[in-house]
Amino acid sequence: MKEIYRKRGYVVRWENGTLVRVSESGVAIEDGELFTCEPEPGDVPTLTNAQLTIPDLDVKIERLIVSHGIAEHEFDGRTWTEETHRVHLSIVNGRIRALVDLFDDIERVAHALKRADQQEREAPKHLVLAPNLSAALLPSLPNVEQMAGGIDGKGREIGEAYGENWYRPSYRVRPIRMPLNLRLRHKETAIDPDLPRAVALLAHPDGLTIRVLIEDGARVYPSTVHVGKIEAVSENVLWYPYAGGSFGAEMML
Amino acid sequence: MNERSAERRGQSAEEPSIPPSALRPPPSVFRIATRDELWLRGRLVERRLLHGEAIEDEHGIIATDSRDDALVAICDREMGRMHDAMPRDARVRLVATASTDDTSSARMVERSSTMTIGLRGLSIVTSPEHASTDYALLREIGDFEPAAEAIDYHGIPIVWRNGSAAVLLHEAIGHAKEHDHAPIDLPPWLHVDVPLRMRRATFSDVPLLRMTTLVVSGGQAILPAPSIEILLIAGGEYEPLTQTITLHIAAADFGGHRLPPFEIRESREAVARAIIGAEGETLRYPGVVCSREGQELVVGSYAPVMVTLFA
Repeated sequence: MKEIYRKRGYVVRWENGTLVRVSESGVAIEDGELFTCEPEPGDVPTLTNAQLTIPDLDVKIERLIVSHGIAEHEFDGRTWTEETHRVHLSIVNGRIRALVDLFDDIERVAHALKRADQQEREAPKHLVLAPNLSAALLPSLPNVEQMAGGIDGKGREIGEAYGENWYRPSYRVRPIRMPLNLRLRHKETAIDPDLPRAVALLAHPDGLTIRVLIEDGARVYPSTVHVGKIEAVSENVLWYPYAGGSFGAEMML
Repeated sequence: MNERSAERRGQSAEEPSIPPSALRPPPSVFRIATRDELWLRGRLVERRLLHGEAIEDEHGIIATDSRDDALVAICDREMGRMHDAMPRDARVRLVATASTDDTSSARMVERSSTMTIGLRGLSIVTSPEHASTDYALLREIGDFEPAAEAIDYHGIPIVWRNGSAAVLLHEAIGHAKEHDHAPIDLPPWLHVDVPLRMRRATFSDVPLLRMTTLVVSGGQAILPAPSIEILLIAGGEYEPLTQTITLHIAAADFGGHRLPPFEIRESREAVARAIIGAEGETLRYPGVVCSREGQELVVGSYAPVMVTLFA
């Protein structure tokens, strides 16, 4: 049976100093094992009040992409609309690069990066990962859960049944089943505020190994953390655009 | 953190003052069409068409998915040529692209037909003209399983066969040039031609200064010695912060045995110091699809057999 999906979208994007406005509409068809897609003329939605907030930082910016988009989706008689705001920032101090994917993290990460030693140090045995780091790790962690909320790539409500929803980031990509809205719960939720704190992502995780920037008192330094036993996870979560969506929370190792 | 709004109600706070129209350069217009297909052992499993237009002026880029029939027709013809040339017993991705980038009436069409053929975990990037010979090379390389122990390549001569030295210098020289990093001291007998120009993968991308081709030439006699022979490279990276390169070697032989896949990670100064010889004709390496800022572009890559020795 043919499955037909349509998407019409408009995005305003600030990419390293260039303002780009993109409007497009297309159709994707799955017919057995064959996936096809192509542009299809249609009324593309517009943003009458596009808002792009460009951070003005006193650290070297290597890459800055800020976008505001709107998309209308149609699948199997259902239609839905979503509006997105995204940022991807990479900032540099010497040989250290920090990655930021949430507006609210920019100032804190930039402040830490400015004070960072260039010398890599061994990670402390016990530390706290900030929500931006735990969110990046969740797709690699066992025992994560799916949180309910939102609509998946085939127009279905996202429930708590793990892995029953579809991920479709673009009409040009064949949808795949995968868990969305990841979250890790732990019976211990109290976080020790006095532990050293990993505050910035220096590279995307390699499995359960993650390069981070650690704040330990007055010292800030790059380190590599191998995630082993998790001692506690806070109940306060923040959404990050990693994989099919990931809810980061303070995580104590 | 200070913040400023780049766009409110469609107006950019960053817009420069606009000179009178007689003094303004005309907007550049980029148009593109791309067809791509994925075939698994002769069965079509994915087929895409993409087309669009990007108009760029002092305000930025306005991109739409409008269609240029002539460009789509070129892609259709190129796709037909690739169908005729593709093997039926492998994983094959075919990409046909036609684009124009003009600010005047001159309409120069740039076209490319790229075939990525994968077999037994190895892959090459080729074209309809070379698909048959390159696929034969891939099968030949894929006939051997790793049988040797992993070794440390330092202190052992490395012979870069099949034009693969172009990939080493793509990372060490080409990407460094894209980032405007200072040149490194190459041996005086070695010449590397790596033209750059503004390129983009599709209509919604911001053009970047990118390599178009990389051609290595020059000769210095190679002394025979036990060596690692590089046959095929899976990929590579250039880290602009540390100016180091990483190459993922997919297939290499040592002492008559296939080595397990391994990485070469060096500073680009170390790469320059390591080059000790090159000889023979300049060979076309079967394919470099270069990805930067998420934009994949084909870079023609050519090099003679080259020898390096990393200390």
